[in-house]
Amino acid sequence: MAQSAKEHRVNRFFTSRGEPVSIHPALYALVGLLLAIVLIPFVYLVIRAFEKPLPEIMDLLLRSKTLEVLLTTSVLLILVVVINILFGTFISVGLHFVRLPKTHLLIVACVLPLAIPSYVFTYTWLALVPSLSGILAAAFILVLTTLPYMMLAILVSLRRIDNSFIEVARTLGQSRFQIFFKVILPQIRASISAGALLSGLYVLSDFGAVSLLNVETLTVSIQNMFKSSYDRSAASIISLLLIVASILFIAADEKIKDKKAKENVFKRMYTEDSRINNLRLKSIVLACVGIYTSLGVIAPLYVLISRFVSNPNPLDVSGLVTASISTISVSAFGALIALMFSAPLGFLIATHAGRFSKVSERIILIGHALPGVVIGLALVSLGSKLGAIYQSVFLLAFAYALLFLAKAVAAMTFSLQLVPQALKEVATTLGKSKTKVSTTVVFPIALPSIGLGTLLVFLTAMKELPATLMLRPTGMDTLATQIWSYASINRFNDAAPYALLLVVIAAIPTFLLSLPGRDLDSEANESKSKVGSLT
Amino acid sequence: MKKFLILGSIAAVAASLMTGCAGSSEQVSDPTEITVYSGRSEEFIAPFFAEWERTTGIKLNVRFGDSAELAAQILEEGANSPADLFLAQDAGSLGAVAKAQLFIQLPTDVASNIPAEYVAANRNWVGVTGRARVFAYNPELLTELPTSVTDLTNPKYKGKLGIAPSNASFQAFVTALINSKGTEFAQTWLEGLKANDVRIYAKNSAIVEAIDKKEISIGLVNHYYIWEVSEGLGREINVKNGFFLPGDLGNMINVSGAGVLASSKKYAAAQELINFLTSQKIQDEFVSKTHEYSLIKGANAPTGLPIISEFGAPSVDLNALKDIQRTQDLLVKVGLL
Repeated sequence: MAQSAKEHRVNRFFTSRGEPVSIHPALYALVGLLLAIVLIPFVYLVIRAFEKPLPEIMDLLLRSKTLEVLLTTSVLLILVVVINILFGTFISVGLHFVRLPKTHLLIVACVLPLAIPSYVFTYTWLALVPSLSGILAAAFILVLTTLPYMMLAILVSLRRIDNSFIEVARTLGQSRFQIFFKVILPQIRASISAGALLSGLYVLSDFGAVSLLNVETLTVSIQNMFKSSYDRSAASIISLLLIVASILFIAADEKIKDKKAKENVFKRMYTEDSRINNLRLKSIVLACVGIYTSLGVIAPLYVLISRFVSNPNPLDVSGLVTASISTISVSAFGALIALMFSAPLGFLIATHAGRFSKVSERIILIGHALPGVVIGLALVSLGSKLGAIYQSVFLLAFAYALLFLAKAVAAMTFSLQLVPQALKEVATTLGKSKTKVSTTVVFPIALPSIGLGTLLVFLTAMKELPATLMLRPTGMDTLATQIWSYASINRFNDAAPYALLLVVIAAIPTFLLSLPGRDLDSEANESKSKVGSLT
Repeated sequence: MKKFLILGSIAAVAASLMTGCAGSSEQVSDPTEITVYSGRSEEFIAPFFAEWERTTGIKLNVRFGDSAELAAQILEEGANSPADLFLAQDAGSLGAVAKAQLFIQLPTDVASNIPAEYVAANRNWVGVTGRARVFAYNPELLTELPTSVTDLTNPKYKGKLGIAPSNASFQAFVTALINSKGTEFAQTWLEGLKANDVRIYAKNSAIVEAIDKKEISIGLVNHYYIWEVSEGLGREINVKNGFFLPGDLGNMINVSGAGVLASSKKYAAAQELINFLTSQKIQDEFVSKTHEYSLIKGANAPTGLPIISEFGAPSVDLNALKDIQRTQDLLVKVGLL
């Protein structure tokens, strides 16, 4: 498209990824400042790690124990990611292409485990199967926990597949398998990669499930070093190793992505009528959904409810209410900070495809693999020098924003890329000012997915435990800390009401995330679930 | 003369740095509140704190957490710690804070009724309650009781013994074993357990539950877990505590304890809180309510258990229990971790 120089200058603000842009230096300065904030935990780790002399660092890294832990972590990571890819793809494709009753409800049921923290999953499953232990058990629990990330991602891209391709393939006599591998798979590869990335980073940073099941991953090692030898340098060295592992994983994940496949090109044209109506396929898909929701929703809820009902102690209603209010308000505060931080970062990444934005994106992603205890201690170290801010609600909310920034930035980036270029061009050529274009064109379209990104940070922050324990104001209880408090002395019956309430409250944003856009032609609505894919 | 001057000035600088560390801060007289970092869980300790608030009118801001994590947090906070008092579940966490010189040296009139063996050598912290290592057993399954912890490698316990090697209390015991009998002895014992098909559990409470369910007949735990598990399940359990012969290392006592932070501006009130927790009245309440041992000489034991002098706790240097790294390396080497 030919553009006059003048038009080009006006449009530069919205130039889509890949085109040359000129961005105000103030934005660079702002992004630089935000990246510096994101890097606080890294700086902390480097300072602590190099308190040890180099030979000792090398000894620690090269001892057989470290290699063993690294191996355990890798095996667990690969197990969970591979199972997620296979199972997640199958269920998602099944839910999309097979005609099933109440598909929307089935999707909601499959995403609901997102509302259950991994430590609650593990406690409830240990109540059902006390002998649960080891790497396979951990993989089982972590698949239950992370499968929704995978499914949300895949379902979104499935909705964007053009039916006519499939029709063409069918008339050419291709079997269902051939159609899946030749037509569908190439178009959902990028989403599979996004889902794999998220579930993998989750596995790297998880502490609750693995520690309860006696699997020593890097994160458990880090926590053990803080706990048992009070050796913060050693823990920091292993944390740096964890960062290297996550960089390798992010790089490996890029390989899944098919660079040639273009995303977001096709609109969904698949209609209800053309769904497969094969009884055998129907029952297989329904059985899979049934198995997953029984293991991932019904089983934990059953344990929590029966514990709750059988608890002879009177319910501490005021305790439950205060903990809920604290949980909701501080998580919402954290989500708001994440939203503010993600605006300039997401804007840069969405509109400027330079090395700077690529590096920024990676830094934010790597931060996602760091366990809460590391971010917690880094902020304790810095925060305790800052007087009144230390152990305030603000610092805790700030920690949530740092921990889950990757989710907010991904949502922001996506939503800004969503706004059709042509629309902005039309608006600007009609003589609207930059601000006017932003408020009347960009925001109405981008807002729903930005909102859902914020919702996602809110949801994850509610479940967070290690950083909450370290940074909460003294005396403040959240639902997560109360669960921990009772569970640590084996009062599972007393922990049950808090766990149940947390799941119920977290189920609300989870439910909103799982809703597919009703108006399938509307980009804005579609973006709802797309954001889920970018968690 | 010159040398002395140099030495003197170095000493002066060092001293000023030390006192800087130790909080040359001015003390607040008659504070209305103090901040406590508590590694002891809210459920058990909150009633005692409430009683303190009622009797003294001084409010307690309590931060609950895991003892070791709170210790790490205090180490990170250093001179800026908001905490006045650190109350920990185990001597190891207290030792780590003491080693970083973040505790004051307590005057001898603080907790003067606690015997020296339960107080840090330089009075950086004092023990508040005692936690005895015992063997828990199912009386239906085990009629002939072991006399020493070293008996447990005997084939008659094959597959019947449970331990929790990842648990701090087990590691503290192994550390004491290494300290008193040497690494080689400890390794042989651990290898003996392993060869005897010892059952591994994640926590002490899981061992007690397994004994109740007759999955195993005996396990190494702390004495109060039979109450904790029974209260958690809301029913009686078929598990009893047993002691080895007097003086056996298997009867070791570890303590929960407290220290006053050097950075605190409220030493006096914090020390008063320690005096309160170690007073005869509160010590008796610990025995009856949380089923722990009082550390005061001649105090009563928790219901149904012998008093400390009766079961003969071995003498163990609690200060030396913070060095767990070597213990963990050994457990890894033997294949129990």
